[in-house]
Amino acid sequence: MEVMRTAGLSLATLTAAILLGGLLSAIDRRLTARLQSRQGPPLSQPFLDVIKLMAKERMVTNPWQAFSPVASLAAAAFALVLFALQGDLLVVLFVHMVGGVFLVLGAMASPSPYSQTACQRELWQMLCCETLLFLIAGALYLTTGSFRISGMSALSEPLLFRLPFLFAAFLFALTVKMRKSPFDLAGCHHAHQELVRGVYTEYVGPHLGLLEIVHWFDVVLYLAICSLFWATGSRGMVLLPLAAFLAVILLDNVAARLTWRWMLGWGWGAAFVLSAVNLFWLKG
Amino acid sequence: MSEAILVVLIIVPFFAALACFLSRSTAFRAFIVIATAAMLAISSLLLQGPLSPDAGLRWAGIIDPLITGGDFLLLAIMFYLGCRYRHLLIIMLTAGQLGLFVWLEFFVFAGEQGHALFQVDVLSLTLVRVVCLVGSLICLHAMPYMQAHERHLQLDRTRQPQFFAVLLLFLGAMNGLVLTNDLAHFYFFFELTTLCSFLLIGHDGTEEALGNALTALWMNGLGGLLLLLAAGGLYRQSTQLDMGGLVAAAAGNHAALLPLSLLLLAAFIKSAQLPWQRWLLGAMVAPTPTSALLHSSTMVKAGVYLALRFAPAFAGTLLAKGLMLAGGFTFLAAAALAIGQRNAKKVLAYSTISNLGLIFACAGIGTSAAVAAGMLLILFHAVSKGLLFLCVGTAEQQVHSRDLEVMRGLCAQMPFTGMIAVLAVLTLVVPPFGMLLGKWLVFEAGADHLVFYLMLVLGSSLTLLYWVRLAGTLLASAETTGFKPEVQPFLSHFPLLALAGGAVALVLAAPILYGRLLPAGQSCLAGRDGVLMTSAGSFPLVVLFAGAALAGMLALSAVRQAMAGRKVTAYMAGANTRRADYFVGPMSRPVRAVVENCYLAPLFGEERWTLWVNLAAAGLLLFILGGALWK
Repeated sequence: MEVMRTAGLSLATLTAAILLGGLLSAIDRRLTARLQSRQGPPLSQPFLDVIKLMAKERMVTNPWQAFSPVASLAAAAFALVLFALQGDLLVVLFVHMVGGVFLVLGAMASPSPYSQTACQRELWQMLCCETLLFLIAGALYLTTGSFRISGMSALSEPLLFRLPFLFAAFLFALTVKMRKSPFDLAGCHHAHQELVRGVYTEYVGPHLGLLEIVHWFDVVLYLAICSLFWATGSRGMVLLPLAAFLAVILLDNVAARLTWRWMLGWGWGAAFVLSAVNLFWLKG
Repeated sequence: MSEAILVVLIIVPFFAALACFLSRSTAFRAFIVIATAAMLAISSLLLQGPLSPDAGLRWAGIIDPLITGGDFLLLAIMFYLGCRYRHLLIIMLTAGQLGLFVWLEFFVFAGEQGHALFQVDVLSLTLVRVVCLVGSLICLHAMPYMQAHERHLQLDRTRQPQFFAVLLLFLGAMNGLVLTNDLAHFYFFFELTTLCSFLLIGHDGTEEALGNALTALWMNGLGGLLLLLAAGGLYRQSTQLDMGGLVAAAAGNHAALLPLSLLLLAAFIKSAQLPWQRWLLGAMVAPTPTSALLHSSTMVKAGVYLALRFAPAFAGTLLAKGLMLAGGFTFLAAAALAIGQRNAKKVLAYSTISNLGLIFACAGIGTSAAVAAGMLLILFHAVSKGLLFLCVGTAEQQVHSRDLEVMRGLCAQMPFTGMIAVLAVLTLVVPPFGMLLGKWLVFEAGADHLVFYLMLVLGSSLTLLYWVRLAGTLLASAETTGFKPEVQPFLSHFPLLALAGGAVALVLAAPILYGRLLPAGQSCLAGRDGVLMTSAGSFPLVVLFAGAALAGMLALSAVRQAMAGRKVTAYMAGANTRRADYFVGPMSRPVRAVVENCYLAPLFGEERWTLWVNLAAAGLLLFILGGALWK
């Protein structure tokens, strides 16, 4: 019985994540278009894009590029399900990390200079994001005495007020993860940057389609983590991630791209220091 | 039965080493090495704890004088080496040890009561199996490796008898070190591993090899001196050399902290922790089996074993806190130094130092869950790192370089070795495999200590970066053709396959092992149904493992489909040429697209940071010493 329930919940989570992820992507495209005085695609466009990619021919420059998207998708899906089951946040983060690992391994397997260069940037970006996410896990432990996400419901006031710096740092990580300006360094949505599509350059057809779904899953997971900052009520759990999402899109449209060195210095160095200070306050 | 197994584990390697040393016949040597490896592997699996306390006691009358004699012999050899190479430091350290040893042995330890000679608990049993299984596989791999190595060096007269003699001796010494329950005997085996490492590092006899071997000898000689001082100090507290008894007597006894801190310093040197990393980095000049053995199953594991063994004695003191911070700092700093490295073997070396730091930190945290985590890390690190060293060593023999950029695309040249190396890296950084499981346990156990937690977070993110970069570099190739199997002798293939299997599957044994490592009252935390539990979280091991297996199979079928499809070349802005990694450059000439990794040497280079990192680490060591003196 227990197994059936878990399986059902997992399936529901993944379906919801695909729908939500695609929808968020569509909203993103629509909003960005409006901000740029364009009409923008219909809400179904991201789904149609992925379906079209799935129907294309499988081509690789190195077989590892066929391996990576599947492994990456499995990891992203697993991380989401573990989160939905209110498991251990550390385990969720470890599993989530695997998706990034395989994305990079597949991209590095190609001799393409675009893909290779972007991989180096992607690694620095992963360094920044992983560090910040594990600090959030630390904050969870310091407030609830456990790494279990289920422990969050016991909180009486939103974490946001006690963790302002860490939340700011998280917004930075969200921008990086959503591949938005000013940190769309390793592969932005538009293939017009100097690295073409960066880490995605060498993935084509169904492989790229799978990676698009991985990206949706990742964004949903990040927003779910964002909801932990206001876990005391369902209204906060929806509104806070939504606000963060919209803020990132707005930032994307008003900010110019920064260099990866800037990102490493401020995003990793300064954000880490501020978040650490925040954690020391929390520990009190 | 148990006594017979102990004899096989400790004594037989000594005789096997002697036989190797004396015989010039390759076939006989191969027979001896294979037979010893098999015997050690089987015996270590047959060994069961706990032993009756009087095991081997009737032989104490022979063992004690033998070991005392052995001590004098070892010190004499080291003294001779110091004189021969005119190394004043070694001469002084050895003379100091000799004087101290004579005084302790004949005037202090003389009135010691009899006690159990051996200790076979989960800790020692796990480590003995690591030594015997991983170590033996490395010895097997060494046979074809050394043949090729000597062909490459074009020696007139083979030096393999010495080499294999020392390898086998090393395994025997490690077994003795792990199984003994007598601190004086422990000292003998400790010194023996020092001498073995000197001989192995200096094996090739080049000036560089000799210099690095001497560095290892003096540093570990200092470690030996500190261990002897610690043994004397601990004996003064409770007039015994029974290690189990010493731990029990030292717990809560403030006066025992100073000798314990010396003991930890000795362990730090043995495990090449910052600021003593120089000897281990230098050890890479030796043939690959040496590095593999030193880094994975022997030598450096002796130090962390000592710290874990004595962890209950200093749990909860300021000393323990210092140990936790020093370990955490080493974990972080060595990981950062690995980022700036393009020498593949040095990346591996720094990662060893870094992981050992994590294990020391476990001993410092001191809860039973943390000590269990440390033990699991020893096990999984040994298997994966041993495997990776063998792969990189084999690759080095082929490409004649240790530069990671030269190894770029190794998977196309050597698909078997390359893929196994990538797999080994994955077992180090990806859940559900062992290292990540161990690291998860450390996260859970160390979350109460915020400074340590911060070090842990930074260190793990850096660790992920250098490993993924290393694996990606090995994969990077323009080759689209299928796998060309490498032609290699069976003895090269087999250890790699066996270790790879172990690195992947051993994690399934983790819940059982973890349950046994915890004290009886806490075993409910170990978990059931394949879920590992701590007080702060849970790790659904079996589900993750099954998921990973399923995902792996799906991914492989995707690979098969892709390989059946059309082959394409990488995107080169439309200026592709017929060769995959070239593009059409100026004057319509083909230009090779060369990409190298970003090592960010200004930020992470060892030239820039070694001094500062060592100073900080030395400060933390002083903190440990101070923690021992502070009331």
